[in-house]
Amino acid sequence: MDDNVILKLTDVVKTFPGVRALDGVQLEVRAGEVHCLLGQNGAGKSTLIKVLAGVHRPDSGNVEWLGKPVEFANPQAAMRAGIATIYQELDLVDGLSVAENAFLGHEPRRLGFIRRGETARRTREILGRLGHAEIPARRPVHRLPSAGKQIVSMARALSHDARLIIMDEPSAVLAHDEVGNLFRIIRELTAAGIAVVYISHRMEEIREIGDRVTVLKDGRTTAAGLPARDTPTRDLVTRMTGRTIEYVFPDRVHADAGTAPLLDVTGLTRHGEFADVSLTVRPGEIVGIAGLVGSGRSELLETIYGARRADAGTIRVGGRALRPGSVGSAVRAGVGMAPEERKSQALLLDEPIYRNVTLARFARFARGGFTRAGAEASASADVAARLDLRPPDVRRPVRQLSGGNQQKVVVGRWLVGTAARNDSPEDQDRFGGTPTRLLILDEPTRGVDVGARSDLYQLIRDLAAAGLGVLLVSSEVPEVLGLSDRVLIMREGSVIREAPGGELDEEAVLDMIMAGSLTTGALAAETDTTGTTEGEAA
Amino acid sequence: MKATTTADPGAHPVAKTDGGASLRRWWTSESNEFAGRNLGLLGVLVVLVIIGAVTRPDLYGDPEWVRNNVFTILQQASAIGVVTVGMTFVIIGGGIDLSVGAIMALAGVWATTLATQSYGPGGMIFTAIVVGIGAGLVNGLLVSYGRLVPFIATLAMMVAARGLAASISGKQTQISQSAVINDIATTKILGVPLLIVILALVVAAGWVLLNRTTFGRRTIAVGGNPEAARLAGINVRVQTLLLYGLSGLCCGIGAIMLTAQANSAQAAMANLYELDAIAAAIIGGTLLSGGRGTIIGALFGVLVFSTITNLFAINGLSTESQNMIKGGIIVAAVLIQQFRFGSLTKLFSRTAKP
Amino acid sequence: MIQDNSRRRLLFGGAVLGAGALLTACTSNEAGPTTAQTKGPEGDNANAAAGKAVTIGFSAPAADHGWMAAITNNAKAQAGAYPDVTFTSVEAGADAAAQRAALDTLISQKPDAIVMLPHDGKELTASGLKAMQAGIPVINLDRSFTQALAYRVMIKGDNYGMGVSAGNFVVAQMKAKGVTNPVIGEIAGIDSLELTQERSQGFKDALATAGFTVANRRAAEFTVDSGQREATNLLQALPKMDALWNHDDDQGIGVLAAIKQANRTEFIMIGGAGSKAAIESIQKDDTVLKATVTYSPSMASSAISLARLVAQGRGLSDLVELSVPKDITLSSETITKENAANYLQLGF
Repeated sequence: MDDNVILKLTDVVKTFPGVRALDGVQLEVRAGEVHCLLGQNGAGKSTLIKVLAGVHRPDSGNVEWLGKPVEFANPQAAMRAGIATIYQELDLVDGLSVAENAFLGHEPRRLGFIRRGETARRTREILGRLGHAEIPARRPVHRLPSAGKQIVSMARALSHDARLIIMDEPSAVLAHDEVGNLFRIIRELTAAGIAVVYISHRMEEIREIGDRVTVLKDGRTTAAGLPARDTPTRDLVTRMTGRTIEYVFPDRVHADAGTAPLLDVTGLTRHGEFADVSLTVRPGEIVGIAGLVGSGRSELLETIYGARRADAGTIRVGGRALRPGSVGSAVRAGVGMAPEERKSQALLLDEPIYRNVTLARFARFARGGFTRAGAEASASADVAARLDLRPPDVRRPVRQLSGGNQQKVVVGRWLVGTAARNDSPEDQDRFGGTPTRLLILDEPTRGVDVGARSDLYQLIRDLAAAGLGVLLVSSEVPEVLGLSDRVLIMREGSVIREAPGGELDEEAVLDMIMAGSLTTGALAAETDTTGTTEGEAA
Repeated sequence: MKATTTADPGAHPVAKTDGGASLRRWWTSESNEFAGRNLGLLGVLVVLVIIGAVTRPDLYGDPEWVRNNVFTILQQASAIGVVTVGMTFVIIGGGIDLSVGAIMALAGVWATTLATQSYGPGGMIFTAIVVGIGAGLVNGLLVSYGRLVPFIATLAMMVAARGLAASISGKQTQISQSAVINDIATTKILGVPLLIVILALVVAAGWVLLNRTTFGRRTIAVGGNPEAARLAGINVRVQTLLLYGLSGLCCGIGAIMLTAQANSAQAAMANLYELDAIAAAIIGGTLLSGGRGTIIGALFGVLVFSTITNLFAINGLSTESQNMIKGGIIVAAVLIQQFRFGSLTKLFSRTAKP
Repeated sequence: MIQDNSRRRLLFGGAVLGAGALLTACTSNEAGPTTAQTKGPEGDNANAAAGKAVTIGFSAPAADHGWMAAITNNAKAQAGAYPDVTFTSVEAGADAAAQRAALDTLISQKPDAIVMLPHDGKELTASGLKAMQAGIPVINLDRSFTQALAYRVMIKGDNYGMGVSAGNFVVAQMKAKGVTNPVIGEIAGIDSLELTQERSQGFKDALATAGFTVANRRAAEFTVDSGQREATNLLQALPKMDALWNHDDDQGIGVLAAIKQANRTEFIMIGGAGSKAAIESIQKDDTVLKATVTYSPSMASSAISLARLVAQGRGLSDLVELSVPKDITLSSETITKENAANYLQLGF
C-alpha cells in the first residue's frame, strides 16, 4: 500500500501572527484516490491547501511528494511538480479567453510567440475530456457562468499534467445536475491514476465520491484515512466539532395564520429574470424559496429588498408600499437582507466586527452626527453573545472570522437595532427607525460548516419565534424544507408551486425545480463574478 | 484613522461586556499599527531635519531661524495640506480627484476678479468656497449619477476648470487688492501664523469627521465595499457626491490661502497639486483602492514633501535632484509601510533559532 | 425662533451677496491690450501708406500666463491698426501636436504670411517648412526653428542678454554700494526650458566679470504661487542677501509677496520681462524691486508689422535693403526708476 502513497505530510505546523493555523497536520494521499478533507471553517483546511499549493511554506514538519521531502518555493514550483489547485474563489483572469486561462503561465510557444491555435486546440481537447466540449475555447471567461468557470479551472489543472488535484469546495457554485458531471470527471481522473483532494461541507457528496477522509479540527488532524463510505456521520461530526450534533432542524412553531401579512408582494416582474411573482410572509413565518441557480430566486430577493428595480408589481411591508429600487426605503420599513455573497456584498473585511454589525444602524447610535463607537461595540457585543459569535471580541477585523461566524455578523446586522432597543429606555427615543421585521436570507449557510449550520438554523427559528418574518433562498433543498413553514418553488422565473414545508419531500421538490431544465440549463444563466480574493484567514 | 490612541469619549459601558479586556488590546494594537506607520514618516522627517542641521550648521545654530524655518515649512504645507485632507476623504471613499489643482485655480481666479473683489474680503472668501464646492459637486454628480469613472470625470474637470479660469482671468494674473486677504499670510495668532492655524483646524476637523461621525463611517463603508454599503441601506451615490463636494470645499479654502500667500491668483496656479495631494495621502497610508486611510498620515506626507523642498532650498540644490528624491521618498515610504514589524520580529526569532 | 429667523436672513443675505459676486465674475476683467504696445501707420514713414490688402495668419500657444496673453493681444491689436491687414488667428492648443494641426488648417487657407510663436521650435520646424514651401512667408516669433529654410523672418527677444542686463545692473549697484562680496539669489522660471538656462547663463557670466557668483538659485514655474514658494524657501536659505534676480515679473508678484511676508528689505531685487505692475512699482520705488530687464511682448506687434511688409514686398524704410532682414534680435533693456516713465507704455 505504501507504494501508492504520493503525498505524505507529517506534523506540519504553520503559524501566522497571533494564530496557529496548522498545529501538527498528518495527511496521506494515495495515487488514484479521492481523499476528502473535512473540517469546520477555521479548522485549517484553507491553510493546508495553500501549503500544498506552494503559497505558504510550513514552519516545521515534513512534506513528502513522490517519496522525496519537498518545500515548494512558490505556486509555480508546486504546479511543475504536479500539484494543481482549484480554489473556491476561482482565480481566473476575466479578460482572457478560456484557452488563455487554461494555459496561463505555460502557454505553448515558439520563439517567444504564443501559439494561439495550438493553445486553443489543446484546450478543446481537455474540455472534451471534461465533457464540456461545448465551451468555446476563445470566449472570455467573464462571459461564462460560475459552473463554466469551474470547468475552466479544472482544465487549467489538467493542462499541467497534474498528478494531484486539490479541489476546494468545487460543488459550492454548482447546480445539482452539474455536480453529477463533476463527479463523472473526478472518476475519470482517478481511473487514470490522478489523486484528488476533495473538500466539501456536503456529507452526501463525500459519501458518493470519496474514498478516504481526513478530519481536521483546530489545525490538527483528528482522524486520518477513515473510509469515506462506511464511517458513520455521527463519528465524523464528532471528530470535527467535538460535539455530537447532527444536521438537525429545530421544531416548527407555526405562525398564526390569521395575522395580516408582513410582506405582501403582488405581480412582481423583472423582464428576463422573473415574472408576475406574488407572495406573502406573515410575522413569525419562515417562507423558503427552492429553485436552481438561474431560476430568478436571488434576483427576486434583491428586488424585494430594493437592490434592483422592478419592472412591474408592488411590494408592501406592514401595509405600506416600498419605494421601488430603494434599499433605504426597505431598510427604513424594517427589512434586512443577508446577501448571497458575504464577502463581496455584505462585509467590510478589514473593519472590526462591531462596525460590520452596525453598518446599517450606526447612524441610529450616533448623537448629532457623531458616532458612538462604545455604544455600538456594546450593542454588537450583545448581539455577538446572542448569536454565539466566536471569537466574541467585536473589535477584531471580520476577515479573521470563519465563514459561519461571518454569516452571523451579517444576520446580526439586522438584529442590533432591536437589541439596542431593548437595552436602555433612553436609547429608545433616538431609535426612530423601525426595528427589523422581515429578514431576507439568500443562501444563509453557503460555505458554513455543519456545526455552525445547526446554530444558524436555531437562530433563524428563534428569530421567527420572536415575531420576525423570514424569507429565505437556499440551493440545499433539505434546508428549505426543514426550515420553512411555507415553501415556494421557482423555475425559470415563475413560482410554480406553493405548499407548507412539511408536505413536500426532497425528491418531489428536486423533480419540480429540475423538470424541463436541460443539462446546460444552469449553464445558460450568467452569474456575476465574486469580487473577493482572500480566502478565509487561518 | 490614527484614531485611537485616546479612549473614545463615548466608549463607556463596553468594558463591562466580556470582550472588555481584549477590546482594549485591540485599541492598542490597532493604534500601534497606525502609529507605526506615522512613526515611520516621523522618522523620515527627523532624518530630513538632521540632514539639514548637518549640512547647514550655520543656519541651524540660530534658534530664531529654526523657529522661523519650522513656520516656513508648515506655511508652505498649509494650502496643499488642506487640499490633501479633502483628497484623503475622496480616496478613502473609493474615488480619486485629479481636479483639485484646477479647482483651486478656478476658485482663486473667480475670487480675485475685480467684480468679486468689489464685494470685499467676505465676498471673495464666499466666492472661493462656493466655487470650490460647486466644482466638487459637479465632479460628484458626474461620478455618482453620471456613472463616469472618477479618473475620467475629474480629469475632465481638471481641463475644464483651468480653461474656465483662463477665460475668466483673461489669461492675466489677478492681483488681490484686499489687505484682509493678503494679511491671512502674515497674521499670527498667539505667535503662530494664521495659515498654520487654518491647516491645524482643517486637519482636526477632518480627523473628527472621518473617525467620529456617521459621515466618516459612511465614507469608509462606501470605499471599502460599495455593494455592502448599498445593501446596508447607505446611499452610496449621495455619499460619493458629498465626498467630492468636500474635496471642492477644501480646494476653496486652499485657494484663499494660496491667493493670500501669492497676493494674487492666476489660471496656472496650484499646478500639479493633485499629484502632490495624492502622493501625500498614499505615503500617509491611505489605500488607493479605498476603505482605509488616515488624515494624520496624509498630513505627515505633506510635511515630508514640504520639508524636502525646504531642505533642498537651504542647501542650494537643483530642482531636478529634488524631484528625483521626492519620487524615491514616495516609493520608500510605501515600502516601509508594507514592511511589517511583525515579520521583522519573526525574522529575528527564526535566525536566532539554530 | 427669532434667532432662527435672523440666522436664516444672514445666510440668505450672504447667498445673495455671493451670488452677485459669482455672476459678475463672468463679465469682468476683459483686459484688453494697452494701445501703446502697438504702433499704427503714422507719420511720413513710407511704409505707413496702405499697400495691397494682405491676410496674416497667427498662431501662438494657449496663454496661461500674462506674457503669452500679451503676445496674442498685441498681435491682434497691431493687425487691427492696419486697414490693409486681415487677421486670422488659430488657437494653438495645449501642445506642439495641437499646434501642428492648427497650422495645417491655417496653411490650407493660404494667408499671405504666417506669424507663429511655436510651442517648441524643434517640433514645429516641419510646419514652418511646409508653409514656406507652400509659398507662405513665415515670421517666427521668439522660438527659433532648427532650419533656416523654415522661416522668412525671425524676431526674438534676447534671453542671454536679459541675464547679462540683470547681472550688469547688480554689479553696478554693488560697486556703487561698495559691497565686495555680495550674496546673490536667483529665482528662475521653469528649469527645463532652454530660455531659462540662457537667462541664467547670461546672469552668471555678467556677474563673473566682477567676480561675483550666485549663492542660491531656485527654479519656479512662472506662476505666482510657485514664485511665492521658491522665494520663501530662498529667503530661509539666505538670511542675509544683497541682490535677487527674478526671471519673470508675473511670478514676481508671488516673489514680492514672499518678501513682504518675510519682512525682508535689506537687498535689491531685479525683475524680468517688464510687466506693467513691475514698472509701476519701480517708478513708485516702494518695494525692494529696483529694476527689471525687458523681454517685451511688444515683439508680437512688431512681428505683425514685419509680416505685413514681407507680404507686401516692402523693406524697412530706414535701411538701405529693399526687403525685411531675416533675423532681428531685440535687446534687453534695463528699466529703473529713472527711465520707468518711458517704458510704462510697453509694460504688459
